[in-house]
Amino acid sequence: MMKTPILLSTCIAVLLLTACATHVEVDGAFPKPLSKKMPLSSLVVFDPAFSNYVFQSSEGREVSIAVGQTQVELFTAVTNSLFSQTNFTTSQPGHSDTDIILVPHIEEVQISMPYQTKLNVYEVWIKYNMQVFDQQGQPVADWIMSAYGKTPTRFLKSASDALHQAAIVALRDAGAHFIIGFGRVPEISEWLRQRSIKNSTAPQQEQAGL
Amino acid sequence: MKPPCPPLLMLASLCLLLGACTTTTVDEYRESSERLQLSGSETVVVLGRRHAANYETEPDFIGCIGKQLGQGTPLKVIGEPEFMDLIYPWFEPRTAPLGLKRMSRMLAEPMIGTRIRQRNIRYMIWVDGNTETTDREGSVSCAIGPGGGGCFGFATWEKTGSYEAVIWDLGDLAEDGRVKVEAKGSSYMVAVGLPIPIIAQVQDQACEGIGKQLKSFFTG
Repeated sequence: MMKTPILLSTCIAVLLLTACATHVEVDGAFPKPLSKKMPLSSLVVFDPAFSNYVFQSSEGREVSIAVGQTQVELFTAVTNSLFSQTNFTTSQPGHSDTDIILVPHIEEVQISMPYQTKLNVYEVWIKYNMQVFDQQGQPVADWIMSAYGKTPTRFLKSASDALHQAAIVALRDAGAHFIIGFGRVPEISEWLRQRSIKNSTAPQQEQAGL
Repeated sequence: MKPPCPPLLMLASLCLLLGACTTTTVDEYRESSERLQLSGSETVVVLGRRHAANYETEPDFIGCIGKQLGQGTPLKVIGEPEFMDLIYPWFEPRTAPLGLKRMSRMLAEPMIGTRIRQRNIRYMIWVDGNTETTDREGSVSCAIGPGGGGCFGFATWEKTGSYEAVIWDLGDLAEDGRVKVEAKGSSYMVAVGLPIPIIAQVQDQACEGIGKQLKSFFTG
């Protein structure tokens, strides 16, 4: 006779315990960025580790955030806007017909929740390593690019919704950082300078028969 | 004969209802006593400041101000998400202009200036601030068991919403005015079996206060 209430209590306890885990599938659309196109063709490599990336944390509350597919959409939009021509692939070639090869990696993801910081915000940090290679596959730069997003807490709003929103803000920030910062990275800036010198002298050399 | 409602309960309910009220203080500063001019097709955009490290101006508060401005006036208000998508990535927290000097440089950039002029955006209203819990007392405990569950206790908390709105005229590249609002309210939760929350609408009151005042800049 006592079995039913005990079973019910156990079920409720299990439900309450699993309710503490937060799983977020980041899903969002990004606008077409307003950007001047650089006269470069690029090949962007979205390897499976990048396009299927899921952040998992078991410190404190169990949290998982799947950002893979959404960040592929983001970098597709920003690279299409920044470069005159962009192609995409899933594995890095030894060399390419394009001017540059871009290989984005996620180095680290961190999150913070109000119960940890005592602030009324949920925060998401994403640290990318944007590897840039030239046509021959020679490294040009390892650009460590950080992105940050936060969203305020709201009465009766779930942690999943708040983290989802914070992740979207972080991804938009990554896009902004990429578009504004690409030409300012010292190694890339130097490579662009060398390239423009080479391009401007090439016709003269041809004319001079060199 | 037993009274229909015990006087003590009535008194307690009255205290709670009074306590759940919100007090709002609004201050304003105007560059000129004349109302702000808008031609037929010109629009206004309301944006939240998101650069502070320890708080975030709530997006729904910005949406609420936009609605307040548009209600009962011919003002055309562009929503924050729509504007941010339109001009992405130039008004993200990392890139948004914090002053008119930077804004003028952005408008001088043909790519950005053209996009803003295409939408006839004449005024940009920046709102900075947030609503936070400033005091909390008491507690409510809930328990569940095989025989049922319930809550018991009394809790009270105070919220303060503090916001400042700054109006930029993108035509003259000048600041036309500021509105500051502070709203305070206490909320209560009484639980005898079932929890009964009596929530002070601090953010809504702050929105109404700042929205009405901003509207007066355009309607006179």
